Amino acid sequence: MTTANAAPPAEPIEDADQVTAPARAHWFRRLLRDRAAALALVTLALIILGALFAPLLATHDPASNSRSIMTPPIWSPMGEAGHWLGTDGQGRDIYSRLLYGARLTLLIGFLAVGLGGFIGSLVGLLSAFNERIDPWIMRTMDVLLSFPAILLGLALVAVMGQGVIPVIIALSVSSIPDCARVARGIAIGVMKQEFIEAGRAVGLSNIQLFKRYLVRNAISSIMIFISLRFGQTILIGATLSFLGLGARPPAAELGMMASQGREFLLFAPHIAVIPSVVIFIIVLSANVAGDALRDVLDPRLQA
Amino acid sequence: MKPNVLDVSGLTKHFTLGGGLFGRKKGVVQAVSDVSFSVAGGETLAIVGESGCGKSTTGRALLRLLEPTSGSVKLDGEEVTGLSPGRLQALRRNMQMVFQDPFGSLNPRMTVRETLMEPLLLHNVATGKRAHEATARLLETVGLAAHHADRYPHEFSGGQRQRICIARAIATRPRLIVCDEPVSALDVSVQAQVVNLLQDLQREFGMAYVFISHDLSVVRHIADRVAVMYLGRVVEEAPAAQLFADPRHPYTRALIEAAPRPVPGLRIAAEPPKGEAPSALNPGPGCAFAPRCPLATDLCRTTRPALEPAGAAGRVACHHSETAAGLSVAEAPPQSPQLAARLAVMARARAAQASGTPA
Repeated sequence: MTTANAAPPAEPIEDADQVTAPARAHWFRRLLRDRAAALALVTLALIILGALFAPLLATHDPASNSRSIMTPPIWSPMGEAGHWLGTDGQGRDIYSRLLYGARLTLLIGFLAVGLGGFIGSLVGLLSAFNERIDPWIMRTMDVLLSFPAILLGLALVAVMGQGVIPVIIALSVSSIPDCARVARGIAIGVMKQEFIEAGRAVGLSNIQLFKRYLVRNAISSIMIFISLRFGQTILIGATLSFLGLGARPPAAELGMMASQGREFLLFAPHIAVIPSVVIFIIVLSANVAGDALRDVLDPRLQA
Repeated sequence: MKPNVLDVSGLTKHFTLGGGLFGRKKGVVQAVSDVSFSVAGGETLAIVGESGCGKSTTGRALLRLLEPTSGSVKLDGEEVTGLSPGRLQALRRNMQMVFQDPFGSLNPRMTVRETLMEPLLLHNVATGKRAHEATARLLETVGLAAHHADRYPHEFSGGQRQRICIARAIATRPRLIVCDEPVSALDVSVQAQVVNLLQDLQREFGMAYVFISHDLSVVRHIADRVAVMYLGRVVEEAPAAQLFADPRHPYTRALIEAAPRPVPGLRIAAEPPKGEAPSALNPGPGCAFAPRCPLATDLCRTTRPALEPAGAAGRVACHHSETAAGLSVAEAPPQSPQLAARLAVMARARAAQASGTPA
């Protein structure tokens, strides 16, 4: 390099102010620019608000029977003024039960995804961080992966009795291996980068390196995966309730409501159809919003 | 004579292929074998060689970023190999590293301030308000401004990031910095600035450099001594001036010949060596360079030459180093009359421009 001899010593020619990255719109604003994502987010927000404020919004006690059974929704000629979405086979107000049912369904989904996502991600990150434990952890995850959530739910209910908690445990355990695999994949990508070695060269301990270098760089991609996983978990949760695991009657849960409406499918289809449609909307919105979130946040998908 | 900051003897790093839960070992890659050298305080030792010769592995094994298979590394007389993890972390205060890729070696989620304060706080060099002041001083030392501290690495250019990496490396005032190809990812104009910055910092703080590079022109500029590696071994080591003027190993000669020089019409003195370096998976018993060496004899193919003193202050591992020393180094050829005429025209034009009169 002959220029080295000619150049004055360490004179900074470049100016940092000129190379500042172009200002980008805030990620949330970019998310809302996607029409489908905005619609999905608004829908989800409405359902979550409805579930949160169920006691204020409900017109009836979700568990109390009335004399008008199997009333169709209000827009049908047979509808009754007091029951907007009609009543079910035991004369309970479907609109009020939907609000309370969404409450339980969303709670199960959030807890299961949160618990399973947290444990799974931690396991995956540790696995990528330490090569020695990696094969053992991942083979354990393979074993868990081959265990269907429904079978696990049945087994847990057999041991613990019917209830919400065995369902949450079954759903969490079934999300652990998926989350662990994805988190490990993301973390291995981070571990290969030179700044991990640079952190070690500075003298960081393993714990500091894990927290400050690995987790900070992997967390956003992992969160995107977990948000995509939410819809799926709700669906499996509803399936378990439909099979009679999970919430105990007369508590309301969307999957259970669909299941109870099955008996009257021929003469009062709305009892099964309405909660099914709500499950469908929740899952679809969660997936669309999760996808859009990934498009906005994942740097690998940005041009 | 200054005491040595770094003493390396018999450093070896072998990688085992295969393994895993049920895997079998498939072979051993001898990345670095029996490397010995020492570096005095304030001195720059360059390690050169082609890609895959083990120079980066050597640098990482020195700092125990890779665990050496065997051998000893002493920093200021203290044994680095075999230290407990806690003691090693404390010792990292005295040995730092600058990496090749300025885009990959800074944590993208940490501001420059966080990155620079990390070594300061970790090694108790400064705490609290004084650490913030030290960060600002560090930035100014490497030619950046204090107001850059709250930006993230992606807001800087390659040269600026490498300055940040250098600031991080000098934060604890180490005794030794291993520079692993610190300028090869940068533009040529920025390379010069970074190399000069490294030299200025060495004059100011007196640390020793192990400067790993494949760029001989940079090495010629910065190095006091040069070690040439080939297939995991040091084949020649000498003061920079001696090595470039009087190379004793045929490989060193080939390396110098192969480097591009800005001399028009220059022809290489000898045929460049043909073929590839042999696999590090299964090197033969003889000299690793023998299959490509113009001077190779049966002796070279069966017996590995030892590293022995040669020339004024060097060491070389070659059975035929005396013959090799006799070979001529390429010299600037007599210029063709046409070229001489064109160069003269250009020189006149430049002189006219410099004196301000139109040509």
